[in-house]
Amino acid sequence: MKIAVCVKQVPAKDAPLHIAPDGTWIRETDISFEMNEPDSYALEEALRLKEKHGGEVVAISLGPERAKQTLKEALAKGADRAIHIADEEFYRLDPLAAAQALARALEPERCDLVLTGLQSDDHGFGQTGVLLAELLGLPHATIIMSIEVQDGSLRLKRELEAGWFQWIELPLPALLTIQSGINKVRYATLKGIMAAKKKEIRTIPRTELLPSLAPTQKLERIYVPEKTKKTEFLQGPPKEVAAKLLEKLKHEARVLGSS
Amino acid sequence: MKPAERERLDADVLIVGAGPAGLACALRLAQLIHANREAAATAGLSAENIYVLEKAREIGAHQLSGAILDPRALRELLPEFERTAVAGVSDTPVREDAVYFLTEKRAWKFPITPPPLRNHGNYVVSLNRLAKWLAERVEQAGINLFTQFAGAELIWENEGIAGVITEDKGVDKNGRPKANYTPGYELRARVTVLAEGPRGSLTKTLVRRYGLDGLNPQVYGLGIKELWEVPAGRISPGFVAHTMGWPLGTRIYGGGWIYGLQQNRISLGLVVALEYPDPQFDPHEAFQKFKTHPLVRRLLEGGTLVRYGAKTLPYGGWYSMPRPYVDGGLIIGDSASLLNAQRLKGIHTGMKSGMLAAETIFEALCAGDTSAKALSAFQKKIEQSWIRQELWPVRNFHQAFHGGLWSGLLHSALQMLTGGRGLRDPWRTRPGHEAYQRLDGRGSPPPRFKGDGRLTFDRLTDVYHSGTRHEEDQPCHLIVADPNICVTRCTTEYGNPCEYFCPAAVYEMTEERGERRLKINASNCVHCKTCDIMDPYEIITWVPPEGGGGPNYEGM
Repeated sequence: MKIAVCVKQVPAKDAPLHIAPDGTWIRETDISFEMNEPDSYALEEALRLKEKHGGEVVAISLGPERAKQTLKEALAKGADRAIHIADEEFYRLDPLAAAQALARALEPERCDLVLTGLQSDDHGFGQTGVLLAELLGLPHATIIMSIEVQDGSLRLKRELEAGWFQWIELPLPALLTIQSGINKVRYATLKGIMAAKKKEIRTIPRTELLPSLAPTQKLERIYVPEKTKKTEFLQGPPKEVAAKLLEKLKHEARVLGSS
Repeated sequence: MKPAERERLDADVLIVGAGPAGLACALRLAQLIHANREAAATAGLSAENIYVLEKAREIGAHQLSGAILDPRALRELLPEFERTAVAGVSDTPVREDAVYFLTEKRAWKFPITPPPLRNHGNYVVSLNRLAKWLAERVEQAGINLFTQFAGAELIWENEGIAGVITEDKGVDKNGRPKANYTPGYELRARVTVLAEGPRGSLTKTLVRRYGLDGLNPQVYGLGIKELWEVPAGRISPGFVAHTMGWPLGTRIYGGGWIYGLQQNRISLGLVVALEYPDPQFDPHEAFQKFKTHPLVRRLLEGGTLVRYGAKTLPYGGWYSMPRPYVDGGLIIGDSASLLNAQRLKGIHTGMKSGMLAAETIFEALCAGDTSAKALSAFQKKIEQSWIRQELWPVRNFHQAFHGGLWSGLLHSALQMLTGGRGLRDPWRTRPGHEAYQRLDGRGSPPPRFKGDGRLTFDRLTDVYHSGTRHEEDQPCHLIVADPNICVTRCTTEYGNPCEYFCPAAVYEMTEERGERRLKINASNCVHCKTCDIMDPYEIITWVPPEGGGGPNYEGM
């Protein structure tokens, strides 16, 4: 089975973020980056499927030069080779453009399975995976909690709301977006890190895959959430006030179920 | 863990710690192998067989210093550095020096900057960036750099060491293996270099096992640093100030620093010698007070805190230097007490010691003899180098301040006139925790400092800005040999100094159902090692947590 995993490099969780002067992205000096956490679960799942069913794992990332570090980590953990779509201005891409670039790089690979994390920890659009499936002409399923491969098809467990799950079947090839916590992510080993140095990272400039951009959405501004605090006094007899309070807790604060 | 289950790897040289000393050692080794290809080939040496271990998530993440770099060693290691890479390493050249004596409200500027604190020709650097810059060169040279791996134990052999065992990964808080359990490696090497920085956990066991202590025990300082971004025009890049006096007074050794950086940033901090008498003295609080001094306040007001960190440094100098060689092993950098306490600098001496270690190792491996006798050449090289020229005349410098600032300045002036001899030589010291005075029934503990949230902060706010992160479900890496002492003797005798000396709020005495108990918030730990040094009963042992855990001193 040939499996591609899309991994994105995002700012580390502990990084204190400052907004860049143009207001549409963060300032990248003096912060560190790491593999997007949901993608690390997708990578782990790909490695486990390979160990069970044989085949190859190809890690792919779209990002600036530094994104190679994340690909190296994937290779150190056991991916066989990597593709780096190089784009220093990656943050200007909307999910469709990112998916288009990824699709063009993955088309010739003819993978049996493409895995992505459910969403990224930075932009958090949650769209790149499903758009990529559409562009590759693959069926897809999202929020995957378990994967079983049986005779050329997949049996999948999806997470729904409120502790509900759904089991579905999907033919191969397919694309799945993986939910965090599906597995326990492995550690890179010393031997794996040394072996990774000899593995291939093929770099393709994004402009080669996608020469021009026709953005379908635009990031106007990112900002730190403004603190708002509102105090409201409910007046009237206790019984009425209690009823009003209940209403508000249900429909405004939404801390109580409305059923 | 049975030894048989561990995977074993064999290296020529294993360096524990990717700070300036360890990285300089690695790079110098690669240079020597490259320059002497035939000799290296005959001895079977290659850069690929040199391993560097670093416990941090990435290179530089645990590197903390002021920092002013004397470029002497770096220039020797990479002569092209000033021509090609100053921008990558240095934030700004030092342009102006000042030394102040502070009282609570006032600041007196010394009319002339004392020569040891003159920094013309030096650079203000981020040690984090310097380590990254060096590491790039080390990797380009073909050396294997492994981040997120710590040396957990030494492998003992003959009268020395034969490598380390790396820490087990994927162990839960009760010591049981998790689904992703990965046992540590048995990493063997012909020569193992300990470059762990101050109070290295492996260095400590090695020094104790073989009685390698120098004439004096090591004494330490705790440096607490904040990086600020301030409104434009507050400070010019390259302005470097050091302070004495308030808030430490003249009895506690230490002082503050204020360095102007590019892009309206300020590096500031306070170093406190870990040998103060009051067990409930709080170095973090002292640093916060330091920022409220008019001299500092007017620089910071309206600015924002970018990063926080804390780290110990070895003050002991030449007389505290452990014997730095054993069979199959060397100790370098801060682990070997090579910091110059008078000049407040140790990056250059640390790097130089790494380079001298590399030369010793290369010769030893080519001769096929890595015994203590062969490796003792390292000590001779130190003695013949400018490290000794720099450290020998200040061998009694730190000790001179035992009687306070004024007598210290007097003694150190006398020492300067007598080549370091002064009135007492060698001037002996005792471990810092022995300076504690017992509480003797002193009243209730002092109220804890809270901070105003703008200029001054409590410890948890600061820890948040250190970027510290650990795997939560792992065994506690701060081992208290006998927690009973904490609630009995320590409470009455010393009032639990761990609650005060820790700059990351790791130690907390709690009451549960009337029972007093020590709670250890190990996830807050910024790896400064103060607890290992300053607990009065020497019952706290710092061991490395799962690799990758700890602070993130990006840009510090």
